[in-house]
Amino acid sequence: MRNAYSWLLQLISGVLIAVLLGIHMVLQHLDAILGFFGVDTVDLTGWSSMIDRASQGTFVALYIALLAVGLYHGVYGLRNIILETTPSARVKNIITWSFIILGIGVFAWGTYVPVSLLGS
Amino acid sequence: MTEESIKRITFKIQRYDPERDNAPHFQKFMVPVSRGMTVLDGLIYVQENLDSTLAFRRSCRMAICGACAILVNKFPHLSCHTQIAEFHSDRLTIEPLANLPVIKDLITSLEPMFDRHRSIKPYLIRNDREEMVNPTAEYFQLPDELNEFMQFTDCVGCGICVAACPTSASDKLFLGPQAMAQCYRYTRDSRDGGEQERLPIASMNGVWRCHLAGACSEACPKGVDPALAIQLLKRRLVSRALGFGKAKRLAPVVPPSTQTKEKIAYPEFTVKKAK
Repeated sequence: MRNAYSWLLQLISGVLIAVLLGIHMVLQHLDAILGFFGVDTVDLTGWSSMIDRASQGTFVALYIALLAVGLYHGVYGLRNIILETTPSARVKNIITWSFIILGIGVFAWGTYVPVSLLGS
Repeated sequence: MTEESIKRITFKIQRYDPERDNAPHFQKFMVPVSRGMTVLDGLIYVQENLDSTLAFRRSCRMAICGACAILVNKFPHLSCHTQIAEFHSDRLTIEPLANLPVIKDLITSLEPMFDRHRSIKPYLIRNDREEMVNPTAEYFQLPDELNEFMQFTDCVGCGICVAACPTSASDKLFLGPQAMAQCYRYTRDSRDGGEQERLPIASMNGVWRCHLAGACSEACPKGVDPALAIQLLKRRLVSRALGFGKAKRLAPVVPPSTQTKEKIAYPEFTVKKAK
């Protein structure tokens, strides 16, 4: 049943990426859209704006969530591609665990910056 | 061949004899073509008139046995079911099925496919073994229940879906579309109680490896849709994992009928017999 959960998570993470990436793009790169709706956007990609957002829990949660779902979706997809060219069940297990460890490591590394900025 | 067979086309056929050749190579034959001629007819012409050593498999010649599956212009077909005129070409490239080991020329070994087919337990699994060994009656099944898996019973085991499948080309452990379709066929059967045994097999190197390219369904000469079966198996596996899937009620045995209806009376003859 583990495979079924993994596949379902892949689908859910795909949907979440579309939502979270959409929010990220609109808030930080498509400021013309916000301007169209009357939202005042001042230098969204500037250093001070970034530090200001990094001190807000909502934005930090958004970054971490986007990292988590993007990482899972990417690592699971890459694992599947590599498994397809692996003719041994034992090697498949090694690859799966390697990707789990890699994913956890990258997630921990990726969350370190926003969490440390939040506390500063 | 009759006089109307004026058109001649080139059959470029892959030849390979493992006892003599180091690698497969192509050989060209000119084949006179008449209206209604199939690719298999062309191969038989080559074997009977041009090169008797050409090896290919065929049996029923009516798209039922699945023995004559080959690649024609890089796409898998049943050669007995494929007319030469369909290709609108003066040249046909004919090769053995992809993703299966070649025995000789156009003959591939279907053993790997049938090994996988056997692995999914393609038979009814029930706990009333005595009834299965010495049946006293039939198992109950509604027409709607039959329709749930009916199309998948049309599989003739020709190997065309496996040859068309891009995942089977790269993943040697993948069970393949044929086995997956049959896994769904037996799992969905209301007379079967073997879901618990089959779903873990389908999950291991099966449904989750499928890319949903749909090439298997596109190529199947019998109209079976293995890609659909794989998606339905995925749905079933996820439902079971989340606890939504209802356990199937095993079809009971239908006792033999003790009542018979009266025969309908013959209508009166409208034409009087001459005395």
